[in-house]
Amino acid sequence: MDVLEQLWSGFQTFVQYTGFANATLGHIAMIAAGSFFLYLGIKKEFEPLLLVPIGFGIIIGNIPFVEGAGLQLGIYEEGSVLSYLYYGVTKGIYPPLIFLGIGAMTDFSALLSNPKLMILGAAAQVGIFLTFIVALLLGFTEQQAAAIGIIGGADGPTAIFLSSKLAPELIGAIAIAAYSYMALVPVIQPPIIKLLTSDKERKIKMKPPRSVSKLEKIMFPIVGLLLTTFISPGGLPLLGMLFFGNLLKESGVTKRLADTAAKPLIDIVTILLGLTVGASTQATTFLTPESIGIFVLGAVSFMIATAGGVLFAKFMNLFLKGDNKLNPMIGAAGVSAVPDSARVVQHLGIKEDPSNYLLMHAMAPNVSGVIGSAVAAGIMLSLLLKVV
Amino acid sequence: MDTLNTAVQQAGETAQNSKEFWTVLNDGLIISILGYAIVFMALVGLSVFMIYFTKLLKLNLKKKLEQSGHESTENDDLDIPGEVTAAIATALNQHFAEIHDFENTVITIQKVQRPYSPWSSKIYGLRHSPRN
Repeated sequence: MDVLEQLWSGFQTFVQYTGFANATLGHIAMIAAGSFFLYLGIKKEFEPLLLVPIGFGIIIGNIPFVEGAGLQLGIYEEGSVLSYLYYGVTKGIYPPLIFLGIGAMTDFSALLSNPKLMILGAAAQVGIFLTFIVALLLGFTEQQAAAIGIIGGADGPTAIFLSSKLAPELIGAIAIAAYSYMALVPVIQPPIIKLLTSDKERKIKMKPPRSVSKLEKIMFPIVGLLLTTFISPGGLPLLGMLFFGNLLKESGVTKRLADTAAKPLIDIVTILLGLTVGASTQATTFLTPESIGIFVLGAVSFMIATAGGVLFAKFMNLFLKGDNKLNPMIGAAGVSAVPDSARVVQHLGIKEDPSNYLLMHAMAPNVSGVIGSAVAAGIMLSLLLKVV
Repeated sequence: MDTLNTAVQQAGETAQNSKEFWTVLNDGLIISILGYAIVFMALVGLSVFMIYFTKLLKLNLKKKLEQSGHESTENDDLDIPGEVTAAIATALNQHFAEIHDFENTVITIQKVQRPYSPWSSKIYGLRHSPRN
């Protein structure tokens, strides 16, 4: 009899530790959300490199278990493997490494052939600052508002970097929102672009970009680093790595290093970042009204940024004549989200006129948007970090 | 009297909230305008530098060409249609990726000498036709 009782008691203990006994509606909802991310990534091919690790991470992070029993399983439990991997997110280690890879992959030729397009990358950052004000008025602290606003930069690593410094408590929601909107660029941007441009404007053909010399390409990362970081030292970890990666590529003498940064390194960091950011959405800490607010504000920020870029391109056209006129659609690419937003502009251009290739032109504001959002993050950090 | 007190309290709270609202808005506006202006400054600065740096490079090149007795041409207005650019890019890509439209027509036949070995001997092979 004793043995049977012991068996029964052991079985009951086992049941208490299973996911079935600890599951809540929140866990189920988050697992469904993770599955939806996987569907978007695999079936719809929306940013699969991001959505597949994040989606699977969401499922991993929401497997129910007994929290606080010292099992060291969850991402928020000290000593767990996931918490060690998540350290790279909370301490802002992964974003600069991602920027190193981006720098090593990016060809700034399009930007260098027409440097005035760089201004579009600055114009599109309006989303960050307007959302900052809205978030402040909704009751978020200045630091939280800045971290939420940066979602409009459509740059996942920058958003994670800034929120890890200013509002670590919101990092999960901000990262998920930033990466979700980056993946949804082909859905969010076209209606806004169409709304703000006329048929005639969308058909504008731009002058083909000129060829860029090697010296210009080598000088750009050096001058870019000096100029941007002297103005906004807060962006140094991001900008430093971005321009360093680009120098590795353009110098032509460090091909192996550039290849490593652009391929294996960025792939490894993307896997770790995507998975841990996904896993950070543990239902018990993630599902709060604040998270929903962040998602809504992030979307607003992203839309304002897109509109800001397009409208500024139209404004620039007032001063440009003849061949030099810009197709205002390329302004939308100023939100960074490299290279998706440039690709969206290309698709829209081809739809209007099959002989209008806008990809190279759109890449200019696109890569300058990366620099712009990193500078904006640096400014927010310098202005607001001292208050923490 | 109670109603009056409550009304005064509510009015006070409203005024306080309104004051806070304007303070927050003011702070937000200052940070936003300053931040946005700095982002512009950084990128406009970089843009201006690159424009003048390119001009300087061109001038330098022109000077060198003139010194060496060559003519320099201004290629700023060289207007190549997008289709042509795409065609050139595709051709270059195919060339570097070694994708051929046609194969090399020269066929080289090298005579290969195989020394006799019983292992490769046809006599001992298994493909003899059966004899009656």
